[in-house]
Amino acid sequence: MNLDLSDAERAFRQRARAWLADNVPREPRPTEPMAAGAYDRAWQRKLHDGGYAGLNWPAAYGGAGLTLIEQVIWYEELARVGAPGLNALSITINHAGPTLIASGTETQKAFHLPKMLSGEAIWCQGFSEPGAGSDLAAIKTRGEIVGDEIIVNGQKTWTSYGHLADYQELLIRTEPRSSRHKGLTWVICDMKSPGIEVVPVINMMGEQHVNMVFYDNVRIPLSNVVGGVGNGWSVAMATLSIERSLSYLIDQIELLERVEQAFELAQNVRLDTGVLASEDCELMRRLADVKADAFAIRAMTLTNLSKINEGGKPGPEGSLLKLYCTETVQRLARIVREMLGLEFLRYGNDRTSNRWTYEFMWAWVLTISGGSSEIQREIIADRLLELPRAR
Amino acid sequence: MDLTFGPDEEQIADAAAQFLRQRLPVSRAHLEHERQLPAPLQEIAELGWFAITLPEELGGLGMSVVEDAIVYREIGRFLAPTDILGTSLAAEIAARGGERELAGALMAGTAGAGIAIPLPGGAEGEHLLFNAGAEFAATAGPERAALWQVPTDGKPFSCLDKTIACQIVNLDPASAVAVSDGPTIFRRALLATAAMQTGLAEAVLAMIVEYARIRETFGRPIGAYQAVRHPCADMAVRAEAARAQLFYAAIALRDGMDEAGALIDGASLVARRAAIANVDRNIQLHGGIGISEEHDAHLFMKRAQVLGQFLSSERATLDRLAAAGRA
Repeated sequence: MNLDLSDAERAFRQRARAWLADNVPREPRPTEPMAAGAYDRAWQRKLHDGGYAGLNWPAAYGGAGLTLIEQVIWYEELARVGAPGLNALSITINHAGPTLIASGTETQKAFHLPKMLSGEAIWCQGFSEPGAGSDLAAIKTRGEIVGDEIIVNGQKTWTSYGHLADYQELLIRTEPRSSRHKGLTWVICDMKSPGIEVVPVINMMGEQHVNMVFYDNVRIPLSNVVGGVGNGWSVAMATLSIERSLSYLIDQIELLERVEQAFELAQNVRLDTGVLASEDCELMRRLADVKADAFAIRAMTLTNLSKINEGGKPGPEGSLLKLYCTETVQRLARIVREMLGLEFLRYGNDRTSNRWTYEFMWAWVLTISGGSSEIQREIIADRLLELPRAR
Repeated sequence: MDLTFGPDEEQIADAAAQFLRQRLPVSRAHLEHERQLPAPLQEIAELGWFAITLPEELGGLGMSVVEDAIVYREIGRFLAPTDILGTSLAAEIAARGGERELAGALMAGTAGAGIAIPLPGGAEGEHLLFNAGAEFAATAGPERAALWQVPTDGKPFSCLDKTIACQIVNLDPASAVAVSDGPTIFRRALLATAAMQTGLAEAVLAMIVEYARIRETFGRPIGAYQAVRHPCADMAVRAEAARAQLFYAAIALRDGMDEAGALIDGASLVARRAAIANVDRNIQLHGGIGISEEHDAHLFMKRAQVLGQFLSSERATLDRLAAAGRA
């Protein structure tokens, strides 16, 4: 076992650090949803021009083709300078692209992948429905195959960035009377198609992040099917395992940085007892406890990547990490709440008004989305501990 | 970068587990519970366990804290005697303190040592000694580790963990047999303790998972109920966190990384929590049988309480980590 970086990896860190120093946007990400989208596209464009778009995509498809360790280095450098994440482009780059690369036709890849990398196309996800969240296989949105088209009717929800998206990875039931995992199909849906209505769902932080999407006789060419009619479940599951193994990488790496920021905050916050937070033993011990967890999360992340590097597939270990990381983010947010006291209550309904109060609420997004903590515990019990099935 | 075991590391773990399974199985801890048995120190010495991290020129195996952690994780898993760590620390203190002959005896297992922890609020020099039958007592703090001949006038102390004979002894700072300054031995001891806590946390997870598959209530195995499954999943998270951080910190110490001290404190905290919380859930989820003397569960619970107080309290560890600054 070793933690050594190769010469190439060290050189990559230098390159990444230098590039970020020159290119990280100076202005903060706007809070207005459409302006935020434009900001994200511009940042993606810049990443693309710099050769840092699609970090995990093979170079053959225009990606940066980085190794897992290089991706870790990249995210560490990103966190170090507080550079923006992919935000509106995250589903595009972390879900949709890898799914097309894995299961798409050459025509689909040639048309879509370059637009994804350059920030020209934003993708959203169309999996969850009002009656199919944790239980994704309960999907009801219908797709009727008529000639060389699929006519889609139904409703999706929790669609992140749906208000900005050009395309959607849409999971629909194409086999009438089929149930559960069978009879589902994964299609590319053009969000400008007639019959689509996107209705914002304002979240408790006061921002438009997720949406409901309604489909009224939306016509999608059959050639937009990815991975074959009726194979939607396995195509979608491939996407979700990528989500679990990659999308949380940045949260895991950022956590350690946030713990340090909380320690810095403690030096500037006076408690109701009159002492500086940094001089309050109990608070400092609670922060140190979270720091120990942040260390362990980094160690688990790297152990997991080592396993994948040795030819393993992303497995149920991803669920251990997702559960542990998101619950630790939540614990940190609660300690900061204690620290801020009355100041925690100052919130102007957008994230720039109080970053800590915003992150306190955002922590629930982490423990619920992408498979809630309860679902992760079920996955661990089934697949890692091999306990008798509850369902 | 690679954080998975290589073939050599697998072999060290397998060999340690095989020895422990044959010679120091958990069933022995039940016997010890009634009457403390002397640890087979000379047999253990033949494996080189009292000299793993000592350089070859001092008579050791010249391996690193990583191999040490691999062995102690197995020791923790089998509830093997805590004087293995005591004797090993003593050998290192003696060797680094220039007491070659004594170091040799400790490495050969012809002399043994227990671990002594200062008694808060006690008189100057008053320590609680774990493994009272040993000839020597080792102490290890962040600034200094020292070795003493165990005085004969110790006061009895009946320990919660009946496998460990304890007594309260007075260790006069002026009469130490050997001292070693600096944090080296303390850090190694903290890691070895975290390794035992990790193995222990993994062992009770395996115990409850096995039971949850076969024990039935209301016509179903209890492992099919979410009230049992979810705490088991949380136990798995804690055990895996402890394991990953243990080896990350061990590598950092081996390679002399700047943040090694903070990483070891982190390993100590997550491993302690994994041990303490997992033994708790293991008893609760076992139900009635879990609180009986005949079952193994209480032995693991009691050892976890002892290890939780070894060398550095949770409070002291948190305070060091809080003061460590940016990693």
